[in-house]
Order: sequence, then C-alpha cells, then structure tokens
Amino acid sequence: MLFNIDLLATAIALLTFFGISALMALSLNLEYGIAGIPNFGQALFVSLGAYTAGWTYTRLLPLLAGNAAIPPCGSTLGQALQLRSVIMKTLPVVGLANFAITLVIAMVIGGIVGYLASYPALRLREEWYLGLVLLVGSEIVRIIVRGYAPLICGNNGLSGIAQPFHWIGNSTLSSLLFAVLVLTMAGLAYLYCERLVRSPYGRLLKAMRENDQVAASLGKNVARIRGQVMVIGSAIAALAGVFFVVNSGYASTNDYVVALTLDMWVMVVLGGLGNNRGALLGALLITLLDRATAITAIQLNTLGVNWEFNYVRYILFGIILLLMLRYRPQGLLPEPTQTTQAHEALQASSQ
Amino acid sequence: MLELQNVSKSFDNLRAVDGVSLTVPRGQIIGLIGPNGSGKSTLLSLIAGNQQPSGGRVLFDGHDITRHSADQVFNAGLVRSFQDPSLFFRMNVLDNALLPVKKQRGEQPSQAPLHRTWRAEEQKNATTASTVLDQVRLQTHHAKLAADLSGGQMKLLELGRSLMGAPKLLLLDEPTAGVAPALAYTIFEQIEHLRRTQNLTFLIIEHRLEILFDFVDSLYVMHLGKVIAQGSPDQIADDQTVREVYFGE
Ligand SMILES: Nc1ncnc2c1ncn2[C@@H]1O[C@H](COP(=O)(O)OP(=O)(O)OP(=O)(O)O)[C@@H](O)[C@H]1O
Ligand SMILES: [Mg+2]
Repeated sequence: MLFNIDLLATAIALLTFFGISALMALSLNLEYGIAGIPNFGQALFVSLGAYTAGWTYTRLLPLLAGNAAIPPCGSTLGQALQLRSVIMKTLPVVGLANFAITLVIAMVIGGIVGYLASYPALRLREEWYLGLVLLVGSEIVRIIVRGYAPLICGNNGLSGIAQPFHWIGNSTLSSLLFAVLVLTMAGLAYLYCERLVRSPYGRLLKAMRENDQVAASLGKNVARIRGQVMVIGSAIAALAGVFFVVNSGYASTNDYVVALTLDMWVMVVLGGLGNNRGALLGALLITLLDRATAITAIQLNTLGVNWEFNYVRYILFGIILLLMLRYRPQGLLPEPTQTTQAHEALQASSQ
Repeated sequence: MLELQNVSKSFDNLRAVDGVSLTVPRGQIIGLIGPNGSGKSTLLSLIAGNQQPSGGRVLFDGHDITRHSADQVFNAGLVRSFQDPSLFFRMNVLDNALLPVKKQRGEQPSQAPLHRTWRAEEQKNATTASTVLDQVRLQTHHAKLAADLSGGQMKLLELGRSLMGAPKLLLLDEPTAGVAPALAYTIFEQIEHLRRTQNLTFLIIEHRLEILFDFVDSLYVMHLGKVIAQGSPDQIADDQTVREVYFGE
C-alpha cells in the first residue's frame, strides 16, 4: 500500500520543488540575510510571476500562435482553455517563446514593484516598518487580484498553464526537462547571488545591515541601495513565481498567502542567514519535509485516516523556527566573514 | 573652510546646541571641549548631517551644506568619527577600512558580479588600507573581526577608516578615548603629520586636554549648548569662566 508511489516521478517533482524553493530562498536571503531588509511580503513578489504567467498564457500565447485572444473567464472559459492546451501541445516553439517572454516580463514587473515597495524606506526610519508595510501590501494585492476577475479569473483561479515541455508526449521526460530547466535557473541565481555577495557590493550591503546610520556617514545612499536590492530580490522571486505556477499548471491567489512567506523565512533561518549555500540547504530540507508530509497525508487518506495531516507541516515549521532561533540563530551554515578576494591576496602576500 | 552660523538644535525643551558660530580654517587643528552634555557631539552630528539643525547655517568650502544628508556631507569631503565605537563589528578590520573608499566599481550592482571589472581596483584599495592600518597600529589585525578588537583598537580603526574616505576635513569625536597615554600622544602626532603632509583640516572633540593643548591651533569651549570661550590653548587655560565650568575651580 505504502509503495504505490512512482519513485521516479516523485524524485523529479522533488527536484523541481527544490529548484523553485531555492530561487525563493535565495531572494529572501539576499534581501534579509545579506541586506537586512525584513521582507515579510515576499509572497507578493512570487505572486507577480504567477500573475504574469496568467496574463501571457491567456493573451500573449494566442497572439504568438496567430490567434485572437479569447477572454479566459466567464462563458468563454472552456474555449480559451482549449486554445491554450492545443497551442502548448502542438506548437512547441510558440510555447517555449511564450515561456521565455513570461520569465523576462515577470522579472521586470517584479523589479519595478520591488523598487516601488522599497520607496517607503525613504520615509521610514525603522526597517521593520518596511517589513510590516510589505506584509500588509502583500495581502492587499492578493485580495485585489482575487476580486479582479479578468486577470486570473478572480476567486476561481486559472488552469491550463502548461509547462513549456508539455508538447513532449512522454510526461516523465517532459517533467524531467522542466526540472533540469528549474535547477539550471536556480544554479545561475545561486552563482549570481554568490558573486554579488562576495564583492564590494556585498560588503556594502552587510555594512548597511549592521548599521545604516554609520554606512550613511561613510557616504552610502542607504535608501537607493535598499531600492536596488529590492529590485534584484523581487526579480528573482518573480522568476520563482513563474516556475511555481507553470509547475502546478494552475494560478490561484490562494497559493500566495502569508504562509508562503513564512516557508521562505523558515528556509533561510534554518539554512543560515546571510549564506547562499545555507539558503539552498534550507530550501532542500524544507522541500523534503514538505513533500514528506504531503505524501504521508495522501497515504493516510488512502488508509482511511480522516484528519488533515497537512497541518502537521505548519506545526513542524513553527517548531523548527523556534528551535533554530533559540539554539542556533546563525543557522546550519553560518555566514562566512570574508567578503572579497582582496583579503586572501593581501593576506597571502603579507605572510 | 568650515563655518557655522548660529547653529541650534533643540530636543523637546532642551537646547542642546544653542546658537553656535565657529570657524575652522583650512589646514588647522581646532579643538572643541566642554563638560559632559554640553552639546559637542550633537554639534558634530548637525555638521555631518546625522541630525538636522533647528536653525542656523553650515558652510563648507563656500557651499551651504545645511540639512544635507549624511552621505552627501561625506561625499563633499567632510568625514566624521563617532564617540562610541561605531564599527561594523561583524566584519573584519580590512573590510571596515575598505568600505568608505569612494566610487568603487565593485559597489555598482551591475559590475559587482563581474569580479574581473573590479579586482585590480580592490587590490589597490586593499594595499592603501593596509598602509593606513599600519599607521594606526593595526597591521597584524587585518583579518580579525572588528568586534574582537580592544576598545582602544576600535578607536584606532575608526580613525583609520575615516582616513580611507579621502577626507578634506575630519570631525573626530574623542579619538583617543580608551587609548593608552603613549599611543594617544602618537595618534595626535599622526594627526599633526596628516595636517602637515596632506593639508587636512581637523575639528576634534577631546577630553584629554594635556595632549590636545599640545597640538591644536585654537579651541572652542562649549557649555550648556553655547560657545563660552574661544582662543589659543594659552588663552583658554587662563580663561576664568572656562576654569569654573570645566575644571571646577
Ligand atoms: N537624541 C537626543 N534626544 C534628547 N536629548 C539628547 C539627544 N542627544 C543628545 N541629547 C542631550 O543633549 C545634550 C548634549 O549631548 P551631547 O552628546 O552633545 O554632549 P557632549 O558634549 O558630547 O557630552 P560628552 O562629553 O559626555 O560626550 C545632553 O544633555 C544630552 O542628553
Ligand atoms: Mg559627546
């Protein structure tokens, strides 16, 4: 009974989830772990990627395929869904192009909204207020999108957002290719963040995190730099959002609640604040835990056990967060102290 | 070079700085003394843009810099140090010293990930920093976390860090607090040397008058937010009001 799981499919799904989580964790680690901006609204920036995909799959995709767009909700819902799935099945190049464009638009929109969201930082002295503004802002945007039907059909959500390798008949192969794509993007994001952090810019961000007043007195325009970090972090988060929604095939405002932000915080705190490798480790562990509880829940259900095992997940996350903050606040992989290679060179030459 | 006109700052009912006017000529070392709570550090914050004055004007190099932000003031060439050690404690000594360097390519987010574009520059800055750290006797501590320095070493690092910002004028808030007497004297010799060789200008708050008096060109004395005396060290030492409020005689 317990072994009716397709191991290969599970492994591929796990890797895909890991890649998406890694993108999210890297973005929050850059913003909070390195730059000290407590973004309690990261789910918002992930959702922007999802909404962007909602828009491109219903408007842009038909245009690219030479068709007129059909209103995706209401009476034409079935027709529009049909059109999407035919295009994704039969026109691989159009599907891939649409996906690539979606990634770019999502990152641009994420960056713009991230910059706008950092704007209160120019006014708010305490960065924790910025965190709260983002938390509230994240919910407000979610509620607006929920109420505004044309984007992703409001409350109902939007299905049929197929992943770009959907046209390959073999579903194992197509999901494997998608997993590879996700992991590649996560790997690139990791390299990018790592190189950014191990540069004078990383040093600047860490200085700002520790004491923004002193950083300002040493000539750094703190508000502007916060804005830059929010642009970069939000673009990465939006990227994760596109992969998230395309992986599940379904865009719903219910996915981008505060709990998603909490997941990212647990990943980063568990892995090690300020350490990109820690963010990856945290993403991996939380993904494993997440999948394990989900699978257990399904197994329990098929066995006829009638309680919501999924909630165990939240309890577990809460416990992890508390234990880490109490016993190992630096996380599993603490932050390295060196920033740039100048030290290594200088130290080597002075010895 | 630096001129304050009637600068004031109130906190609720307290006039912490009350109509202060003073001038710091180029290439001079000016002392600022006064009892605890007389408003010296607050005055420094008003000049450096950490706090905004309630009234008055601050002129630097002929430009009005009143109400400029702290980073603008720094970039104009006016660099301050803090009374309480204000290092980046979770960073090592070398990183602390490298941070204030102006116009670093590697501090541009577009170039930062491309290490090739800034590696040579960083190397050069690190060499400069190393020389400056030698001057403040921290040569063997490059790799140490700033938090692991002794109190006096922290003050020294703060001085070195200020120098890395290519200042024209340095505002130093008790640069020798917690530093052993012999080294405190050396620090002032270093300050004198910088003034002579690089034509730097200094405004220095200091309670160790026995050292300060040997090095300053002139002094301002503050009491309850006001300047109560001004003059050469000899004049100040002989001033009756200063003797009363500061030396308690
Ligand atoms: N942010 C603030 N809010 C309220 N009062 C303040 C603030 N900063 C300073 N003060 C008050 O202003 C007065 C001047 O303080 P300041 O730190 O400038 O003194 P100081 O001359 O530097 O003294 P010390 O020699 O002890 O360093 C003090 O009475 C202090 O309590
Ligand atoms: Mg003071």
